[in-house]
Amino acid sequence: MGAILQIEQLHKRYGDVAALAGVSLTIQGGEFFTLLGPSGCGKTTLLRSVAGFLRPDGGQILCDGERLDRLPAHKRDIGMVFQNYAIFPHLTVFENVAYGLRARRVEPTEIRRRAMDTLRLVQMEALADRRPDQLSGGQQQRVALARAMAIRPRLLLMDEPLSNLDAKLRVEMRTEIRRLQRELGITTVYVTHDQEEALAISERLAVMNAGRVEQVGFPWDVYQAPESAFVAQFIGTSNALAGRLIATDDDGPRVDLGGWMLRARRRDGLAGQVLAVFRPEALSLAAEKSGDSDATFGEAVVVSREFLGAVLRYRLRLDDGRVIHLDEHKPVAARLRKEGVRVRFMVRPDDVMLFPLEESS
Amino acid sequence: MTWIAFALLAVLLILPLGRLLWASLLDEGGGLTLVHYRDFLAYPYYARTIGHSFLVSSLVTLAALVVGVPVAFILARVHLPGKAVLTTLAILPLVSPPFIGAYSWILLFGRAGYITSLFQTIGITIPTVYGMHGIVLALALNLYPFVLLMVTGALRALDQSLEEAAQGLGSSPWRVFWTVTVPVTLPSILGGALLVFLTAFAEFGAPMIIGEGYQVLPTIVYSLFVNEMGSNPAMASTAATLLVLCTTGILLVQYWAVGRRRYAMSQLRPIPPTRLRPTVQWFCAGFVYLVVGLSLIPAIVVAVTSFFESRGPVLYPNFSLGNYREVLFNVPRAIANSFLLSSLSTVLDVLLGTLIAYLVVRRRSATTAALDSCVMVPYAIPGTVIGVAFIVAFNKPPLVLTGTFMILLLAYFIRRLPYSVRAGSAILHQIDPAVEEASISLGVSPLKSFAKVTARLMLPGIVSGGILTWVQTITEISATIFLYFGAWSTITVVIYRQVSSSNFGSAAAASTLLLVAVFIPVLAVTWVMGERAATTV
Repeated sequence: MGAILQIEQLHKRYGDVAALAGVSLTIQGGEFFTLLGPSGCGKTTLLRSVAGFLRPDGGQILCDGERLDRLPAHKRDIGMVFQNYAIFPHLTVFENVAYGLRARRVEPTEIRRRAMDTLRLVQMEALADRRPDQLSGGQQQRVALARAMAIRPRLLLMDEPLSNLDAKLRVEMRTEIRRLQRELGITTVYVTHDQEEALAISERLAVMNAGRVEQVGFPWDVYQAPESAFVAQFIGTSNALAGRLIATDDDGPRVDLGGWMLRARRRDGLAGQVLAVFRPEALSLAAEKSGDSDATFGEAVVVSREFLGAVLRYRLRLDDGRVIHLDEHKPVAARLRKEGVRVRFMVRPDDVMLFPLEESS
Repeated sequence: MTWIAFALLAVLLILPLGRLLWASLLDEGGGLTLVHYRDFLAYPYYARTIGHSFLVSSLVTLAALVVGVPVAFILARVHLPGKAVLTTLAILPLVSPPFIGAYSWILLFGRAGYITSLFQTIGITIPTVYGMHGIVLALALNLYPFVLLMVTGALRALDQSLEEAAQGLGSSPWRVFWTVTVPVTLPSILGGALLVFLTAFAEFGAPMIIGEGYQVLPTIVYSLFVNEMGSNPAMASTAATLLVLCTTGILLVQYWAVGRRRYAMSQLRPIPPTRLRPTVQWFCAGFVYLVVGLSLIPAIVVAVTSFFESRGPVLYPNFSLGNYREVLFNVPRAIANSFLLSSLSTVLDVLLGTLIAYLVVRRRSATTAALDSCVMVPYAIPGTVIGVAFIVAFNKPPLVLTGTFMILLLAYFIRRLPYSVRAGSAILHQIDPAVEEASISLGVSPLKSFAKVTARLMLPGIVSGGILTWVQTITEISATIFLYFGAWSTITVVIYRQVSSSNFGSAAAASTLLLVAVFIPVLAVTWVMGERAATTV
């Protein structure tokens, strides 16, 4: 089983900006853990602190109970995959992968065996003698992975490793990375700003914002039950409407959105102005009469539509001018709503989440 | 490390320049005075050299532009036979010292020059080449490649799409040329022009050899220093201070005018050469061949002359190795000195320059940024000024170096340090810092990682930068002429003295040896690295 990584109260400031404002996380042995957040949220600072390229101002980093932050970077025994791969351009594929093993003074025959084994794992053994400039982006990525894994590190760190690949290859590689990681059982910390990638690849993930961890959880929970307006809006597409919370009676809370009432999922401790957040797929175009008594109905005008293949996304303008998105799955050509047409939509209370308004700013 | 670099700069730069300024401000009694400056500006004999310097530099710049810009456009845009060879040959003048160029124009058009004599035999007296026009001729053909390199660089950095876009918007090709291509290359043209101006302004050797009575600032500094009527260090220091003020001013103008205004595009699809009407094509080819040919004349003339039989200033067109024999037997020490000094100072420059470049690029801080600025200062200081300043600073305790090997070595080292730092940082900017981090994360210590990865990747740039430093150092005359002493003479000093005493034969042989020593490594670098190397000159 992989090593357990504990991060405790990590702080790092750059001038007036707190890149890390007391981050604590525990990552389980063998886990695939993702740090997700917009650029500047501190995820890369956190990763580089673990790698040893940055010295945090405070807090500690423990690996299986050992103080990692007291070791210099080259003694931490961590494999790292960089955004631009950082392949050694003057060495062959094989030499790149053997580099870390040589530094560990592994026996030559053993180096050969382990490097080739690792290259086989990433399906690059046939290209072992190539120079990096003869490789495609995806192949370089595989070399970077093999190089980091060949040393059998305690931890594997990946800094946006897929961001330079094209969309299709990116999806392929993330499946591949996950398979390899499972096979080797190395505890892995993965950094990305791509929420779809994070949901797809992670066992658990931490959503970061402005140097803090907003939420830690399984992809499913983070998507379904965001704990803050930031998480709700950052992950997936969301409609967010500010309104006044009316009352929490037996039927649950209702939000006055200026003209119409939206019923929402129960949440305690809220009053006054709130932010109602619901996903486009929670909305559906309603037939003239619908039997669903719980649902809130609303009316809006179609501004535009985007055909995304499996989904048809409408942009709807409410009467007060605010625009929301509505996803229709398995769209049928016959039922297409034209631009300018007035439509009725519905949303179920359980799909509407409420957050205090100031959180979103 | 940073502080060692600062200390070095303080001793080799601040101290000499400070002493120089001080020397120009002291009267005989040791009191502070501006009398030397007043004298310098009051006597036309001195004062006019300032005007001369500006006039010569302006004319050289103008000529370099007139020649360099068309050649650059033709080389970049027109189909030419033998273009690769031509491009390489075109940079050779830059690495051959201007005083050899001046000397060879004297061989052709001097009082006893080949062409002058030829005309005399048919009863025509043509004007000689000495004076201002000689300086301009020698320097223009020597320095025009600066313009050529900058402009070709700019033209190569333009993407096809830019001109296509303009054409797509309905402009005629001619209009596109004037409204898109020219404005976009203008910063580079300006940059090249100012570089030529600065280099011409600081040039000592060529005006000394071909200028005769026509004195410019660097030569008046020398004259004042070695005057037969007794040297005048205070006045020499004054002239040197004025010289350095002028070059610093020019450099500031350069920063202000050109600055970072460079246009570059990524994802390049350079504009391919076009085929023109045959007459135009041949006209263009003829022009380029003529210019490159003219600029190579000095080397050819000197090489041919070196094999002539000579008796003093008289040369006989019979094949002879006598000149080489004379040089190799009489001054082997000077040749050895040149190689030894330039090699040692190059090694020092490369080592320290690379290290400083690394600090400046990879360890960014206010301190290293200050170091970056300080280390560029020698760039603005003409060799003549370094020469005087080093003598003034190091001829009395605490540090007496005059007459030693060290003073030459240190002068060479400090003069070329900015170039090594620039060469190092240029290549460092192209290396992803993550590559070094990758090595560290794989378990190799930071120092070893630097050596195994970063230094290794910098090597091609360091080597080509080092060769260019070496070439510039072995051809150095303007500081050497002040600092050499007895046994520590160099090949450039030998050439200068032989030319001064009209020993044209041995001067030609020594010049040829020097040119061969310089051309071989430069051609090797261009051949191995492509034209990229040339741009680091």
